[in-house]
Amino acid sequence: MKLSVSQDKLARSLAVVGRAVATRSTLPITTHVLLRASDSFLELSATNLEISISCKIDAEVQTQGSIAVPARLLTEFVTSLQPDLLSMELSNATKQLEVSSGRVTAKLTGQSADDFPVTPDLDDGISLQIPTEKLRLCIERVSFAAATDDARPVLTGIHTAISNTQMTMAAADGFRLAVQKIDLSEAVDQNVDLIIPARSLREVERLLAEQEDPVSILISSAKNQILFRLKETVIISQLLQGTFPNYNQLIPESHQTKATIEVSDFLRATRTAAVFARDGNGIVRLYVNPGEGEQAGTMRLAARSDEVGENEADIDAIVEGEQSQIAFNSRYLVDVLNSLDGKVTLETSSPSSPGTIKPVENGNEDYLHVVMPMFVQW
Amino acid sequence: MVARNISDEQRYFFHGDLDAFFASVEQLDNPQLRGKPVVVGGSPDKRGVVAAASYEARKLGARSAMPMRSAMKLSNKIIRVESRFERYRELSTQIMDCFRLISNDVEPLSLDEAYVDVSNKSLWTQKTKAASDLKRKVLGVTGLNITIGGGSNKSVAKIASQVAKPNGILLVPVGDEIKFMGPLTIDLISGVGPVTQSILSDKGIHTIAQLASANRDWLFSKFGKRGIQLQKIALGVDDRRIETSRDRKSISAETTMDSDTDDPEELMNILGGLVSDVVGKLNAKDLFTKTIKIKFRLADFSTFTRQISFDQPTNEVSIIYEQARSLFTKQIEEAGSLRMIGFGVSNFVSQTDLDSSEFQNPIQLKLNLNV
Repeated sequence: MKLSVSQDKLARSLAVVGRAVATRSTLPITTHVLLRASDSFLELSATNLEISISCKIDAEVQTQGSIAVPARLLTEFVTSLQPDLLSMELSNATKQLEVSSGRVTAKLTGQSADDFPVTPDLDDGISLQIPTEKLRLCIERVSFAAATDDARPVLTGIHTAISNTQMTMAAADGFRLAVQKIDLSEAVDQNVDLIIPARSLREVERLLAEQEDPVSILISSAKNQILFRLKETVIISQLLQGTFPNYNQLIPESHQTKATIEVSDFLRATRTAAVFARDGNGIVRLYVNPGEGEQAGTMRLAARSDEVGENEADIDAIVEGEQSQIAFNSRYLVDVLNSLDGKVTLETSSPSSPGTIKPVENGNEDYLHVVMPMFVQW
Repeated sequence: MVARNISDEQRYFFHGDLDAFFASVEQLDNPQLRGKPVVVGGSPDKRGVVAAASYEARKLGARSAMPMRSAMKLSNKIIRVESRFERYRELSTQIMDCFRLISNDVEPLSLDEAYVDVSNKSLWTQKTKAASDLKRKVLGVTGLNITIGGGSNKSVAKIASQVAKPNGILLVPVGDEIKFMGPLTIDLISGVGPVTQSILSDKGIHTIAQLASANRDWLFSKFGKRGIQLQKIALGVDDRRIETSRDRKSISAETTMDSDTDDPEELMNILGGLVSDVVGKLNAKDLFTKTIKIKFRLADFSTFTRQISFDQPTNEVSIIYEQARSLFTKQIEEAGSLRMIGFGVSNFVSQTDLDSSEFQNPIQLKLNLNV
């Protein structure tokens, strides 16, 4: 293997595939990055066995070949170099990769590419295309609600259901539920029902910023893997096996109070309250008051901590229904409000029933967030 | 001499029981009913049951809990009266006050029945005087007759009052429990219903003495722990103490529908009524609950109960109703028509407990993801 490649491109690609490099692993080679030179490009691949990311960059290849080298070592070395043309040459006998740039040279001891875990082949299955912006929206609004602990593995995933031209993504961690629906431009001929690890989708989201064309998705016919094809990068993720909760039953059917609020007001007041709530379990108390006569309604956000002090903020709200009060963990409010803009509605029924947050935009029912309150002494 | 604590002392209990309470109240308030066979309860057309039957009606075969339809067929002389719970409650309060004149340890079992711990009356003559004073007092205050049974434990006291009915006093001397109960039939033991009785009868166990000497293993195999418990009672052993309303373990209410229904709206209305009833009582006692329970009986009489516990005790009717409703909705979806629904709360916490400790901590409520 012998090639030359731009330092800049290589460093960026290493950063991309580096997300899939295993940090601690029982299989040491997964801490390596696989380099494969062929035709006119260099392909970099990494996997932690749950997700694999591979990236192709243009290169001037003189001799084809492949080698797995320690990912961290190569990344740190390459990023320390000047933006210049790098040359790489593999000694097949010693499995040493010599990387040089200008007057700097390094030799990295690698392992045979044959030992590197095989990236699964996904030739057939269900394929579809999702506009980048819609996929990004889905992931951004849903993934934060997925569980981070492995107590119930399916909850660390995002339930993804596709039927005809509609795709619904949902995540729930036991305290909140986020559901986003989007329309696909083309109908999918087969109904799909999968659980994609939220971690994998966050990696996809990270790479969408530079993507303009729709993302191609391929779901393996065995429904155990999903592939996302972006401009230069391919991400393959294992799918979580199991049954996702039937979350539709958790969506409140009715409410007593509905407040319409500007997201920016709501988010700012929540963050302010969170400062005072920090020592008090993050509790933010919401008092929703319908206006009287000509007077507009308000929502008061209050937080207090016995030792620290207290804070109150009133924001404008259009309130339908009864006066109400409910307490939430400020973190949960910040998470959902961060993913929204414009106006939202907060629907509540009682201090111990879930609250529902929906954006007020065309197609209001496309997103909803159900969050459980905190039970507090009022 | 070793100091004796209260549990070592010789206990003595009264069981006071009004005679045909509801029916007697009706006869008291309406002189025209006196001396006549009166049954109190709902209409026979609406699956009413006999809540109480006067002694005259009992002679004709009427019994409480009998379907009203059957009771009315016994004789055309039987007079049915709608129950007036407000009035019964009013009298009940007066009766319970009479009990409290002789001891603070009063455990009401229902509107017309209570245990009283009279261990403080150590001399036999004090006990007999207390019983006759109580009887006179109840008659004087309410105009109603009460029967009083007495014994060294609750079971003996209750059996004694059943034997002494109507309008009697029977105090079983300490030590005479087995002699007293032995020849009596087992159905006098609270908890021995027709089914238990027939199983025991098949084994040749008809009297309490026979139950006392029955094979313990056999009892256990047939009735489990309850069998052992029944035998202990037959042997004159019953360690239960008075539970005053403060340490009552649960409060509940139930309703049998006029006709089986699966109409969610009607069921929720009934449930709402039960919840507000029960939570009202909870509030009256200044208690908070941590556990709620629903009960429902299907048209085929199979009965189910479901309960959930809160992390945080509450006495808020809206919170409790909300939880009861969701518990109920989940269970009845596939149940079909219901005959009876019930609601109860238990696992109480007092205001004092609540003020003190861990209950101050807020709790993050959870989504029920087991769906």
